[in-house]
Amino acid sequence: MPGTGVRMKIGLFVPCYIDAFYPKTGIATLELLEKLGQDVEYPLDQTCCGQPMANSGCNKDAAAAEALFVKNFAKYDAIVMPSGSCAHHVKDNFDAIPQTDEVRHVRKNTYELVEFLHDVLKVDAFPWAEFPHKVGLHNSCGTLRALRTASMSELGEPFFSKPMDLLTKVRGISFATPRRPDECCGFGGTFSVTEEAVSAKMGVDKVRDHHDAGAEYIVSADTSCMMHQQGCAERAGVPIRFIHIAEILNGARA
Amino acid sequence: MKVKPVNHARAAEAFIKDTPHLTFHDERLWDLRQKRDQQMHELPEWQELRTLASQIKEHTLANLPEYLEQFEANAKKNGIHVHWAADGAEHNRIVGEILEKHGAKSLIKSKSMVTEECNMREYLEPRGVVVTETDLGERIQQLDNQMPSHIVVPAVHKLTPDVAKLFAEHYHTDPNDDDPQSLAWSQRLAARPVILAADAGMTGGNFVVAETGSFVVCTNEGNADLSATVPGLHIATLGIERLVPRMADLGVFVRMLSRSALGSPITQYTTHFRGPQDGSEMHVVLVDNGRSHRLGMEDFWTSLKCIRCGACMNTCPVYRRSGGLSYGAVYSGPIGAIIDPTFNERKYSTLPFASTMNGSCTNVCPVRINIHDQLYKWRRVLAEHHELPFVKREVMNMAGRLLGQPKLYRAAISGTETALGVLPRFALYNWLNPWGKNRELPHPVKQTFHSWYKQNRLKTKKKGEDA
Amino acid sequence: MSSRDAILARLRDNRPDPAAHALPPVARLGDMDASRARFEKSLALLGGQVLAPQEGESLSAAIARRFADAKIICSAVPEFEGTVRIEELGTPQTAANVDVLVVRAPFGIAEMGSIFLSEAQLPTLNSAAHLTQHIVVILSESTLTANMHTAYIERPEFHTARYGVLMSGPSATADIQGVLVRGAQGVRTLSVWWEQ
Repeated sequence: MPGTGVRMKIGLFVPCYIDAFYPKTGIATLELLEKLGQDVEYPLDQTCCGQPMANSGCNKDAAAAEALFVKNFAKYDAIVMPSGSCAHHVKDNFDAIPQTDEVRHVRKNTYELVEFLHDVLKVDAFPWAEFPHKVGLHNSCGTLRALRTASMSELGEPFFSKPMDLLTKVRGISFATPRRPDECCGFGGTFSVTEEAVSAKMGVDKVRDHHDAGAEYIVSADTSCMMHQQGCAERAGVPIRFIHIAEILNGARA
Repeated sequence: MKVKPVNHARAAEAFIKDTPHLTFHDERLWDLRQKRDQQMHELPEWQELRTLASQIKEHTLANLPEYLEQFEANAKKNGIHVHWAADGAEHNRIVGEILEKHGAKSLIKSKSMVTEECNMREYLEPRGVVVTETDLGERIQQLDNQMPSHIVVPAVHKLTPDVAKLFAEHYHTDPNDDDPQSLAWSQRLAARPVILAADAGMTGGNFVVAETGSFVVCTNEGNADLSATVPGLHIATLGIERLVPRMADLGVFVRMLSRSALGSPITQYTTHFRGPQDGSEMHVVLVDNGRSHRLGMEDFWTSLKCIRCGACMNTCPVYRRSGGLSYGAVYSGPIGAIIDPTFNERKYSTLPFASTMNGSCTNVCPVRINIHDQLYKWRRVLAEHHELPFVKREVMNMAGRLLGQPKLYRAAISGTETALGVLPRFALYNWLNPWGKNRELPHPVKQTFHSWYKQNRLKTKKKGEDA
Repeated sequence: MSSRDAILARLRDNRPDPAAHALPPVARLGDMDASRARFEKSLALLGGQVLAPQEGESLSAAIARRFADAKIICSAVPEFEGTVRIEELGTPQTAANVDVLVVRAPFGIAEMGSIFLSEAQLPTLNSAAHLTQHIVVILSESTLTANMHTAYIERPEFHTARYGVLMSGPSATADIQGVLVRGAQGVRTLSVWWEQ
């Protein structure tokens, strides 16, 4: 088994839009963690982390979802999710409910999938993975500027990229470099509907940037960004495909 | 009558429809961001400078009354007349009185965001004072009767033919001459006689130094120096948050201001005014206009650190695609979105939502204002103050209740394994409708993850347990 | 209560705890290279020029060569005559007719290619530095300071001048479609003449 040999009891959180629209991403996450020897459970009563309400300013309305989240996940060593923005919410903003020991445990042990693989399991190989395509990596703003899984261009810091570290362990993969690698794609949760025009323009600019750089796929740790980008690409006729990093690391070939 | 909130989304939509303007605007400001990055890479001490700038500003704000008194005492010693204005109206009245006392009928001025806050031109002009903006971009905006769309490059949303048309109308130049060099020359020729004949000059102030009673103005065109030195009367409008304690603190700020703003190491002119020349008169008006109130806002007072470089606008992907005028406020972009609601909470209640909270603004800010965190906090404040649209409140309330009850939630999506049943019809057909305007919907799937898991893991697990 | 007192009172009521926000010591950071080469590189970046003598050429010969069409050349330095002295200009209206102004800067800043001028160098008429079409600045290499920190720490002029301008190249604008235009409202060119 690649990695440190750490074995943890993991609660898998599959965000609502992945559950409903991108089950393959959830399946890949689960299978990958299992391949890496982890003891993974998916609590059936899960719904949402509370982020949509909190980001809209309606923090009180996030309380019920946050309480349920804690009820579902307090018993695990680690809570892992294939979504940077949800992990960011739980870690950094999850305060609609009183901060009990249980809540603090959940917040402290919540991980976005890439940081979990990179920092906790320290996975050094994905022998089963091969992806013979040129991909453009999209770091969501949550993973980039909140979870800090990659260096940020604005700060001039030395380059690092946890998702890139993982993807370079995949056979046959190559990378396209867009002109504006850090630019937000414009999803932004409810922003995508309240500011529809700007959001869609940012989305189409983003997918064109990747396509012009030669990417066949956009790969990301955030499905919500890709759901938006895919919608923009399809409407504008930009021929590019989308895949979650969990699927590539789990061995998807296309 | 209740004020209507600014409709940023609609204005942005109109801006986006004009492809040539939009493309230039986005590329131009992105280019400024790139140039700023280059300058940052040349200074290994960049992050240290940001930290120092932030600390100096926070210290100054925490000791602002003392530093203002120190500035006032020193400025008076230097022969400067010092005035205090609680708000825009008082500022305008003070300036009007100074001009009246001197019988001044023409005022030339350099760019000042504070005078924009105060609507000074609108006050002075009916009183018989001709006000002429001397900064080229600001003059273009004045001729077009628009607010500046950017705090550093006020006419960045315009293309050369727009300027050619305006100048043809006002300066009688050839409307088909759209060479920027010759248009800038036309402005020089038109401005010189006005400058030479002006009765009074006005500037803003980028920095105000308590230790010496000085204020500093940074420009590229030299128009502030002309406005200040040609007429015998110089009035400077200074925001009270512009203080720094010591002259030597300017090293930190001057090194970062233009690098952050335009990606040039320094503005062409950095001018230190410490007192009037013999035979001239110098006045400063210290303007509060809401700043002392903002200082008391626990989550938002650090926005007073802003040195108005515009770097947050240049990097903001939303600003670049919506244009400054879409914010309907003196201050646009990310910094505008956290400052404007302090002027009028209802009117600017939409602005903190005109953001994806991507955080790039915070990273480029030379004084380390946590802009995107403040955007997030403003959303909460506005929701608590009932400044959110009714539909949004209702949707969030309903979603919040549904997502707290797993059985109801599952019921809502069961039976429709396909996608869109997830969303309550009310939300989908009203509020979420815009999704599909320029985007396809996600593709329906046969099975949710939830039911796949039940089928593929729970059953097999049970089998395993049985065996 | 006056607005002054009301503002100060409100600031006292509302301010964050001063004890939590100490003033850091004055910073002296960055590249300490105060060389002529660094100054010239920075000056060029900001659009300034060096007026270099050709084979033992005097300042007046160099000016005559560089500004062949100039009619009014104004001097603010003792060693160069020009056609008019700055003290004789009298008014901005007269200064506006000057083609070339020759001044001496007390110091320059290598980091920025900036030169400093104040009322001491522009006797009776600060506006002359901005109304002239071109400016020639005499600068001594020995007065160069490394960067903005050293300039503000070391130069007394920032504490004594009533009007002190750092000029970094000529007046410039990029307000029309982002195109850089040198010579916006102030001087159209700025040239540095190194003191021998």
